[in-house]
Amino acid sequence: MKQLLLVGSPNSGKSMLFNRLTGMNQRVANFPGITVDTAMGPAVGRSDLLVVDFPGAYSLTPLSGEEHVAVDAFYKMLDVPVGQIEAVVCVVDATRLEKGLVFALQVREACRRTGHPVMIVTNMHDVLERHHQSVDARGLSQRLDMPVIPISAKSGTGVDHIIQCSELGVDLPKSDLRKDLIAFDSSVFRNLAESLSNEFGPKGDYLLLVHNRADHFFLSTLTGGLSFLLIMFLLFQAIFSWAAPLMEGVESLIGLTAQSVLPLLPSGMLHDFVKDALFGGLGAFLVFVPQIFILTLIVGFMEDSGYLARAAVICHRPLRAFGLTGKSFVPMLSGVACAIPGIYAARTIESARRRWLTYFAIPLMPCSARLPVYGLLIVAFIPNESVLGGVLGLQGLAMLAIYLFGIFMALLVVSILSRVKVGKGSDLPFVLEMPPYRLPGAKTLAQLAWSRSGDFVKRAGPVIFWVSVVVWVLGYFPNQGTDLGESWLGAIGKFIAPIFEPIGLDWKYGVAIIASFLAREVFVGTLGTLYGIEGAEEEFTSLAQQIQDSGISFASGMALFVFFAIAAQCVSTLATLRRESGGWALPMSLLVGYSVLAYSLAFVAFRMF
Amino acid sequence: MSQIKCANLWQMKRGIQIVIDGFDPSLNASVKSRLEELGFHQGARVLCTQAPRLGAPKLYKVGNAVYSLEKTIAESVIAHPDTSE
Repeated sequence: MKQLLLVGSPNSGKSMLFNRLTGMNQRVANFPGITVDTAMGPAVGRSDLLVVDFPGAYSLTPLSGEEHVAVDAFYKMLDVPVGQIEAVVCVVDATRLEKGLVFALQVREACRRTGHPVMIVTNMHDVLERHHQSVDARGLSQRLDMPVIPISAKSGTGVDHIIQCSELGVDLPKSDLRKDLIAFDSSVFRNLAESLSNEFGPKGDYLLLVHNRADHFFLSTLTGGLSFLLIMFLLFQAIFSWAAPLMEGVESLIGLTAQSVLPLLPSGMLHDFVKDALFGGLGAFLVFVPQIFILTLIVGFMEDSGYLARAAVICHRPLRAFGLTGKSFVPMLSGVACAIPGIYAARTIESARRRWLTYFAIPLMPCSARLPVYGLLIVAFIPNESVLGGVLGLQGLAMLAIYLFGIFMALLVVSILSRVKVGKGSDLPFVLEMPPYRLPGAKTLAQLAWSRSGDFVKRAGPVIFWVSVVVWVLGYFPNQGTDLGESWLGAIGKFIAPIFEPIGLDWKYGVAIIASFLAREVFVGTLGTLYGIEGAEEEFTSLAQQIQDSGISFASGMALFVFFAIAAQCVSTLATLRRESGGWALPMSLLVGYSVLAYSLAFVAFRMF
Repeated sequence: MSQIKCANLWQMKRGIQIVIDGFDPSLNASVKSRLEELGFHQGARVLCTQAPRLGAPKLYKVGNAVYSLEKTIAESVIAHPDTSE
């Protein structure tokens, strides 16, 4: 199978082009370094052609972890027999031609030396046209002795030409552009890119002037700080208040389905299993999916609008005080959705030391897996009341408080660790390209949020289902659910009960906490199954209501909040950390350290309240 | 504009354009190389587009892109005010 390799600078629109060429749904965003791994898929209408999307790189001399991934993989790909690669496509942002050409010229030279065909694609011509600007693609093509194709990956204009040109066959560039290119000297590529950009690129800086006005607002000391705080506040309020009607809808739907299905089943084991394990366990988890949808929708808006890079600049100085960098902000914010993409995103941090510190911070960020747990505990323990004349909801404020607590703990831990010798390598400084401001498309955002929510359900759903099944079996037998305390699960629970007694939790919570070390959200499903078995009623009752009815104290509720805010309960996160750090030392120390810290602070919280 | 003295990028205020003279010898070679690839090379004209207070990184326009540089690195880029405009 022949290959079409997509390379280019960060944020040049490679992934959007990849999606156009393959019909796939690779994650795209308006922030440098979103693609951190290679993606591949067959071209639409060309099943014999495999399109490969590399992470962005500014240069073939890599600096950051993501660039090492891109450059190493690219050189490995070039090390194949001539003819196997149909073309190397170097994607350049036409609105920032000079920057992209530095890398494109390096790629051209590398391909010329290895004998692989290469072309340049100048992307984002839709933006240029809106400002009556253009790139002289023909002139640039003649000068470089290689195809230069103007496109808009967003609208699809010109994308077909890439496949047509590649299929017809691309000749190798005949000439050395300059004899001193042999030395692969960066200054030569840069000078050449500058002169080519001046000759063939768009004229004027008005695009930057427009962005500069927005930057003046979003980055100034007063308005920048206030707007950042307001955006963060709205984010956490929205997670609760916007998602509430959707959550009620899902809960009603599950309740109605249960009421329709359960009477059709004969009384007995199957009936009890469907009621307790499916509707009680899995259903309790699905209620919280709308919150994850809203969260990913808003984070996606921040990414696509270009605001995320500005937020990284605003946060740089405060984060430096804790030993982190402004670039840690994006992995940490990604960690609010899910720790795994956050850990991958930390590759963009050039400094190994600060990258390691960011690894320690990410598992403490309030991820979406904690959301079902927090959502359940908030509904169970915080009254649904408003303050300040109905402007602020108490439950929304509680959500903000527990999120801020997680962030505070993350900063406190890395602050302590930064004062001892953690991490290896040099302490490289903060350099971040500012992407242009863009208005995100509603359809793209909705697709992104839908896709991420779907991924979350697909990843967590099977785990929750099987844990619910195991918990149900252990809780149902040997006495057919007549007495949960005398079941196999009851015996296990009573064995571990002394561990959780000091924080006022009975054995059922102990079992749910132990099960949640697979994944936090399992806590909700497990508790749902346990209360389902225990409850003799036929009707589906909300889990929060059952928790309230169980008589658990407010202090124990606060202890649960604290425990889940800190404990590193996610097998997938630990496995990802092992992969990224190259060993088990970091994930194991995180698991043990954060578990001990979580339990200790939960005990303190129980005593305080 | 030409009367403003500045010896490095960090000393620039918003709206000031300067010309890069070179780099502090103590600057990491790979970082220097990356800065040059981004356009911060000797002789390049750089405009400070944003200079937030409280030590936040400043924004610099070089070529047709804008980059944010923190204090430690901006201080390593030696420059003089651009008197050509």
